[in-house]
Amino acid sequence: MTEHTVKSYGEELAHLTAEVTRMGGIAESQVADCIAAIARRDGPLAQAVVAGDERLDTLQSEIERKAFRLIALRQPMAVDLRHAVAALKISMSLERCGDMAKNIGKRALILTEADPMSALTRSIERMGKLVQGRLKDVLDAYTTSDLQRAIGVWSRDEEVDEHYNAIFRELLTYMMGDPRTINACTHLLFVAKNLERIGDHATNIAEIIHFELTGEELTSQRPKLDVLSQ
Amino acid sequence: MPLANTPQTDPRRDPAGAPWSLWIGPGALLGLAVSGLAEPMPAVLAALAVGGAGVFLNRRKAVAAGVAPNALAQPVAKPVEPPFAAILDRLPDPLMVIAAEEADDLTGRRFLFANAAARELFKIQHAGALLVTAVRHPRVLEAVDEALFGGIEGMAEFETGGVQGRSWLAYARPLKETVGRSRLALLALRDETDARRSERTRADFLANASHELRTPLASLSGFIETLRGHAKDDPGARDKFLAIMLAQAERMSRLIDDLMSLSRIELNEHIAPLGRVDLSMAVIDVIDALGPQARDKALTFDPILPPRGGAVVDGDRDQIIQVIQNLVDNAIKYTPSGGVVRVEIFPSLAAEAAAAARDPSAPRMSLLTPDHDPVERYAMLRVIDRGPGLAREHLPRLTERFYRVEGQKSGDRSGTGLGLAIVKHIMNRHRGGLTVESVQGEGAAFAVYLPMAKGESRMSSTTPPAEAGSA
Repeated sequence: MTEHTVKSYGEELAHLTAEVTRMGGIAESQVADCIAAIARRDGPLAQAVVAGDERLDTLQSEIERKAFRLIALRQPMAVDLRHAVAALKISMSLERCGDMAKNIGKRALILTEADPMSALTRSIERMGKLVQGRLKDVLDAYTTSDLQRAIGVWSRDEEVDEHYNAIFRELLTYMMGDPRTINACTHLLFVAKNLERIGDHATNIAEIIHFELTGEELTSQRPKLDVLSQ
Repeated sequence: MPLANTPQTDPRRDPAGAPWSLWIGPGALLGLAVSGLAEPMPAVLAALAVGGAGVFLNRRKAVAAGVAPNALAQPVAKPVEPPFAAILDRLPDPLMVIAAEEADDLTGRRFLFANAAARELFKIQHAGALLVTAVRHPRVLEAVDEALFGGIEGMAEFETGGVQGRSWLAYARPLKETVGRSRLALLALRDETDARRSERTRADFLANASHELRTPLASLSGFIETLRGHAKDDPGARDKFLAIMLAQAERMSRLIDDLMSLSRIELNEHIAPLGRVDLSMAVIDVIDALGPQARDKALTFDPILPPRGGAVVDGDRDQIIQVIQNLVDNAIKYTPSGGVVRVEIFPSLAAEAAAAARDPSAPRMSLLTPDHDPVERYAMLRVIDRGPGLAREHLPRLTERFYRVEGQKSGDRSGTGLGLAIVKHIMNRHRGGLTVESVQGEGAAFAVYLPMAKGESRMSSTTPPAEAGSA
């Protein structure tokens, strides 16, 4: 990396990354909290998740503004431009993760009123932990510029898909066995879908990091499993 | 990457191994000297004290790693070697001093000091690093802010994820001292993992035990009723029922054994095992012990093992034996009479190679992946059976407790449904991994891999794990 002659330029870039990291921390805890709300049937926690999404939205638009400002005023080149664009894109992905967490929080609120289905919430929790781990890994990769770690997250995408697939089957079995569970099961199905989407965003962030660090796209085909065709 | 001012190496494996104060001092000095970007703050004493040697060290490191030190992220705060730093380094609990100038600059909090435990936990590489690069949790950041600018003592719970997640209680305390215009706060962490874990394990144990013991218990009391009633004077029926009752009682006791050992393993999961195990020797022991079972089904073993000392791993011997036993036991159970159970060991593999597919076209699933570590070398142990195999949709759920593959012709139901859960938890404790590969109708291959013991003469990997033409 080269040194910048204008002091505040470098600082501005560092600041942008730090902001994205901070936003990542909030997104991470939103995801963790919404899973905990489902697992523990914790209504107040679910409400906190729903209310907490606003912070992510605000942060995202701040980062967007700062990134645009930086690009417009400093006209960064090469690696600096990729930093700025990566910050912008990652913040958008994180904001989407927050939206998914909020949606899960809303469903958790509804589920606290239904009968407990511990076997199912266990499966959701397990998948949630997996997704959470991927989000953490990819954010760690971002803060430490660890390319290998980012590639690791990217290549383990199929684990989440397998979990989603398994939960999909499990839920179908429950619904066929007892139609009274259809309402709750449908919510859980959307929860699982949202988790899967969060996992996809983690993969997406890994791709952004790869481009940011190397300037090249991750192109080779990832092993992808089609959930619905089986 | 703006923050990547340090060479991208794992700080624990840092070859230069510069002490903390050397690391930070020269960083700031270099920043000043080369680019003049770092904003000087008072209290430069320690930085000056470590002077020339430190600069040299830092430069050499930077050159060695092929990364020019990035001026823009050079530490702004000067290193302050607090009194008793060496003593603080010995504390088991992470302890950090955070400095910040302005309340509005939310990302401007920096580490002024971090003791050894904190540096290890958060992989903080130099003083002056941004707080947010190490700790992202919003509740912790809020507590720190309140301590810095509100003078309020705060507390926050958070978890560090990863494969061996830990629960922490963070305490933020305002400090009266200031460095230049910076306010200071103390951030101390306490490890609450043990308490959380035992809470959860106890709840799980009770739930599982009561649920799973109910079935054999119901069948026992049913037979007792019958024996007291109309089967009282029927010696034939009595013998038959007593045999079933014995089997049920044995099943209950196996279940309790497995549940207990699972609970024990879970409680210690975050504590790295001590001791060394020679995998080849362990496999031979297990094969000897399971010989009678294999003979009953006329099975033969086909072990492909490196010589003694060829695959030595860091591990708890009893637990490693239990892993091998559970895997081989499963293989015996599912292989039809007269078949072959294959056990193979491959030493010295990188993580990717250890987790790689045996047959790329077969459905496979990684059930446990250790935290990524590019330098680590693994020994991989694989148990292959020629049983009915498993359908793809079952693979991700195999390590769930009491998960049973329906419609499976396993014949006897002697298993407790906890075997693979135990394997997974033991492997996680050993920082290892677990994969399964299976083609329906052709058999299954379970592979575990765990870090090789350090400082042992390593054998070069001669046999690639992928093999053509096998199931």
